[in-house]
Amino acid sequence: MVRGIALQADPASRLKRLLNSSPMRQSLWLSLLFLLVSAISLSVSYYVARHSQEQALQDSLIQDMIGYRATPSATALVRLVQAEMSQTDARRRLISYRHLGGQVVAGNAAITQQQEGFGLVVLGENPTPVHGSFLLLSERVHGGLLTIALSAEPLHELRETFVGVFLFSLLPTVGIALLGGMFLARRSARSLRALDAVLSRLTSGDLGARVQAERMAQADLGRIGSSINRMAEAQEKSTAALKQVSADIAHDLKSPIQRVAVQLEHLRQIEALPPQAQQIADQAVAETSSIVDTFQSLLQIAQLEGGSPRGRFAPVDLRALVSTFVEIYEPVAEEEGRRLNLDLPGDPVTVPGDKALLGQLLANLIENALRHTPPGSDISVSLTAGASPILTVRDFGPGIAKAEQTNVLRRLYRLEQSRTTPGSGLGLSLVQAIAELHEAPLDLSNADPGLRVTLEFGVPGVRVAKPSALSI
Amino acid sequence: MKILVVEDDSTTGPYVAKGLREEGHTVDLIANGREGLLQATTCNYDILILDRMLPDLDGLTLIKTLRGAGNRTPAIMLTALSGVEDRIDGLEAGADDYLVKPFAFGELSARVAALARRPGYQTQETCLQAGDLEMDLVHHRVQRGGQEIPLLPREFTLLEHLLRRKGRVQTRTMLLEAVWDITFDPQTNVVETHISRLRAKVDKPFESDLIETVRGAGYRIAG
Repeated sequence: MVRGIALQADPASRLKRLLNSSPMRQSLWLSLLFLLVSAISLSVSYYVARHSQEQALQDSLIQDMIGYRATPSATALVRLVQAEMSQTDARRRLISYRHLGGQVVAGNAAITQQQEGFGLVVLGENPTPVHGSFLLLSERVHGGLLTIALSAEPLHELRETFVGVFLFSLLPTVGIALLGGMFLARRSARSLRALDAVLSRLTSGDLGARVQAERMAQADLGRIGSSINRMAEAQEKSTAALKQVSADIAHDLKSPIQRVAVQLEHLRQIEALPPQAQQIADQAVAETSSIVDTFQSLLQIAQLEGGSPRGRFAPVDLRALVSTFVEIYEPVAEEEGRRLNLDLPGDPVTVPGDKALLGQLLANLIENALRHTPPGSDISVSLTAGASPILTVRDFGPGIAKAEQTNVLRRLYRLEQSRTTPGSGLGLSLVQAIAELHEAPLDLSNADPGLRVTLEFGVPGVRVAKPSALSI
Repeated sequence: MKILVVEDDSTTGPYVAKGLREEGHTVDLIANGREGLLQATTCNYDILILDRMLPDLDGLTLIKTLRGAGNRTPAIMLTALSGVEDRIDGLEAGADDYLVKPFAFGELSARVAALARRPGYQTQETCLQAGDLEMDLVHHRVQRGGQEIPLLPREFTLLEHLLRRKGRVQTRTMLLEAVWDITFDPQTNVVETHISRLRAKVDKPFESDLIETVRGAGYRIAG
């Protein structure tokens, strides 16, 4: 169920993830670049083409003007203009002739100019029956101003052609690039998800997890996958070696200890043994068992730190566990005149974990408090509910100086004040290792008076499920 | 009972064999895994006691092979490894019980007795009895000599566990596992404290003691 939530993201965040993926971003950038380059080259060719078109229009205006200039007199020019006007299409060509500073003598008044030279006008308002833009040339001829205008429509047509070329050639290209990018992004996202899943399985202690690198479509991701596989293999081998060494040490040391225990047992069974010798034998038995305990804790810490699998994690009710352990230790505390206070929430508090290890953690914390505080002082164990349950074990003893608080988590470290109390100096290191395995940060602080040890568990439900099969 | 001990350690093996013989069992001792497997498959034993690390063939493979061949003889695994993982590995391979070295003979003997009596609970029982003590399982009441003894729930469980195994020694680790579901060994003598509380209610006000301490092994209610 938890896993389902993680994978089924809402559409908005899926789109965001898709856009953020590197192939998608690459194809977006490439499309943008392609668009930009094409736009620049098209505009340059457009301006070159437009310029030569304009030049052609101007040349033809100049040619026309030379023709009119060839008329012998103003009257002849007026007649020629009138004759031309009746024959040419007003949408293509317009002519007007007027006296300087006076009214139009012949032609279309719409295009009259005040000055000589080239110009561009746009006609369209009433009462002119003529529309569109025109390129015109005005020059003095026979004491009047002659203006010839040619339709600039070819220039517009040119622009439309270029816009058409732009739209019909570029947009599909960009669209195809984007779709391709999306396709690649989704494909590589699948591979990346697979890599990610394998990596998180490896970090959570499942050293058998492997990437199916040969099935990855992208060669580069496949290579990364193979590297991850090689790394996992090396890690698996060294963990196996560590386990083998631990097992060998355990076997090679414990067998002699077992023999000592057997011999001590024989010694104790001798009927004629004087009481003093009996007592020494008892002490020796106690010592052997404390050697075994120290040794056991060291092995266990090494195993926990060497990537003990979280695969066996199951939901654990912390409330029930805490209450059981307080119940177990209550009589011990009461014998020393202590109260073991318990503060629990009303509902079960479930976290993913290893019940046996969490029990050991609780036992170590309570025993630690019992051992390092004077008889008669109380101990409080509390648990809070909520998204991040907090387990607190607090005593009312001398506490631990701030400077020593990190030291006590070190293996075999013992405070000067605790040299005479029993214990291996491994209790809190083991607590630390178990806390780390459960991703519950361990914090030691002064409660004034006393030591407060807190563990904050993560959000319940996270990391319980692990993907059983990977599809790439 | 006929017991096969497969243990290569030259001190532990004979010690276990001798102790079991003294208790009246027939014991074969073998120091090699492969020979042990051969022996276990050719003769019928009531109980197997296997070391985990053995020459030629280790205890885990031995028990796996036996179980694979359909042999269901109860087996106790002796081992130097006591991590939860190791216990689980051992039990998953097919061992019925698991004992961590170094162990006292009393512990082994108690576990052998416990295995021999499996499946254990006679579920129809509504009343357990020892001497003049009576436990009413239906109403969760305990009486001794007609006098009602109020017990806390966990004290009741502890007493019930001892009563159901009347005459058999229950070691500290067996009690921790059965009553509190704890598989590790606490540094503090919690079992002793709980037993002494139970004694204060069940034995102290009366003339005779029901709960016996078995030196070097554990506790027992005489049957």
